[in-house]
Order: sequence, then structure tokens, then C-alpha cells
Amino acid sequence: MKINFSKQNIYLLILCIFLLIFVLVFSFAVLIPEGKEYRLKRTELNKESLELRQLSDFSIEKEVILQKLRSDNINVIRAFDAEFNSQRFEKLHRNFFTSLKISKRAKLEDEEGFSVYEVNTTSQISSPKSFYDFLDALNKSSWIISVNFPINFKREGEMISSSFTMRVYNNNKDLNTTK
Amino acid sequence: MQYSYIKPRSKTIFTKDMQLLFTFFGVTIFMLFSTYSFLIFRDYRFKQDLADISVQKEQLSSSILKMNQQIATIEKQNLMSEKIFTKNSVLKDSINNLFDLIPSRVTLSEAKIMEDGLILYGITPNKDVYNFMLQAPLRSIFHRTYSSFYPVENGWLRFVSTNYIDEEELKDEN
Repeated sequence: MKINFSKQNIYLLILCIFLLIFVLVFSFAVLIPEGKEYRLKRTELNKESLELRQLSDFSIEKEVILQKLRSDNINVIRAFDAEFNSQRFEKLHRNFFTSLKISKRAKLEDEEGFSVYEVNTTSQISSPKSFYDFLDALNKSSWIISVNFPINFKREGEMISSSFTMRVYNNNKDLNTTK
Repeated sequence: MQYSYIKPRSKTIFTKDMQLLFTFFGVTIFMLFSTYSFLIFRDYRFKQDLADISVQKEQLSSSILKMNQQIATIEKQNLMSEKIFTKNSVLKDSINNLFDLIPSRVTLSEAKIMEDGLILYGITPNKDVYNFMLQAPLRSIFHRTYSSFYPVENGWLRFVSTNYIDEEELKDEN
């Protein structure tokens, strides 16, 4: 049996085989590796997105903690930020004393990363209770102040003259900025 | 001279078979290229998304670091303020206790309160009152107590009581 192929059919067959080879080569050499890479990158992107979401959640958590800490300690934060003003201090605490005088302040060495200023105070009180009330008021004042030794009390007639030093603690601008 | 009564059929390269073949491969190649273009586009987007995520992660990390520093600072401030407030309260109680310690028969004229000591100036009717009512409690608080007396015109005694706490002994007790 003899099969007769026309010239046209042979051309058609060659073209068909050529296109089929092209499709196969393109698919296996280009498309499938690209598809595998796509799948890998999609997995990597999903992993990165998940990490980003976790980081974002963690950041929100930290933000909440920070806001809570800030709102709980707003007075302390403001007090550490506040620059000591002797006139304002005298005005605010004058009612505890018969007379109150704050002398020039001197910078001391930093303490635990905080700037420390020392101010000398001379005052007159009518009774020790005024001094106790003053110490109570110090803990609620606009600055962070500790009363330091030596503390002298001297009777002067019906009054007690007292002299003591106070240490004012401020944020060290380079280290403790909470804003 | 005419050999046929029908018009000659125009010969074309796009025969029915060729059209079918081109249509089939055309669609196939179009789909292959479309898929390839899609993958290239997605690859480009992935790169962009990864770069964006990387930038966002960096921003979040630096923001978390900053917040951690702020939290540490606030905690440090809080701790420091608590320490200072406690110190003021302890000081208040100490002074209160000191003045409570002074018996009514002894009159203080001056008190110097130091970090490790206390100097009291005052007048007492006699040494016994001072010794039993003031020096005894002072001795229980301080490690070293020295007293000196000077007579005054009305027969009373002016006294100076110097009291010290030894840091070393305090450490040993702790």
C-alpha cells in the first residue's frame, strides 16, 4: 500500500511539528520554571506579610502599653520635663511657710541619667507640721524634688527658722526624651 | 481560446487546513504568552510588594525600638520619682519621730539633722531628765552619742547632744 502525501500536506505537517516543538520548548523551558518561581515568591510574600502583620500587632501592643504608661505617669513625665522656676516654686509653696527664700541653683553630677540641680532654701515656719505638709506637697508638685540633708531647725522666738537643700531632678535632654 | 466554462479558482496559501492550524496554534501561543505575561507582571508586583513590606518592617522595627526606649525611660522616671517620694516621706516620718522623741521637760533650741547624724541643742532642768528621757532613746537609735552640758543662769543646763550612725556598723547589722 502506498501512501501519497501531497507537497502541501508535508509542509503543513512540518509547520505543525515546528509549532508543537515551540509550544513544548516554551512551556518546559520558560513557563514551568517561571511558574515554580511564582509559587515560591508567593509563599515568600505570604510569609513576609504574616511577619509584617505580627510586627504590626506587636507595634500596636507596644503603643497601647506606652500610651497607658504615659497616661498613668503623665504628672511624673511632665515634672521631669519641667524646668525649675524658683519664683513659681516660692509662689506655690509660700503658704506652708511664714517666709521662704530660694537661693541660686547649682548643677550637680547627673544621677542615674538625670540632671540634678541643688537649691538652698531658708524659711521660717510656725510649727513642724508646716514642714510635714510642705514635704507632702513636694511629692505632688510640678517638679521632682527631694529634700536633702543637712536640715537645720533653729528656734527664733515663736518661730522656727529652717534651712535645707533641695535637689531638683530633670530629664537629661540627651538621654531621657519621652516625646 | 477557452478550455473551461468555469472561472479559475484563486489559489491561496491559507487553505482550510492552514487556517485551522493557525487558529489552534494562535490560540495556544496566545494563552502561553498571556500566562507568561501574567507571571512576569506578578513577579514584578511581588518584588514591589516585598520592597514595600521590607520598608514597612524597617519602619515598624524602628518605631518599636523607639517605643521600647520611651517605655524604659518612663519606667526609669517612675522608679526615680517613687524613690524620691519615698525618701521625702521617710524624711517627714523621721523628723516627726525626732520631735516626738523630745520630752516635754526638755526644750530644743536647735536641731541639725545630717545624713549620718543628729546634733541637738537645748536646755534641760537637770542631767537626769536629759539622760533618762532623751539620751536613752537616742542611744537606741544612734551608734555613738556624746553629750555636753553648760549651766545657765536659772539653774537649768544647756546641752549639746551629738549623735552619729556608723555606716559600717549599719552594713554589718543588715
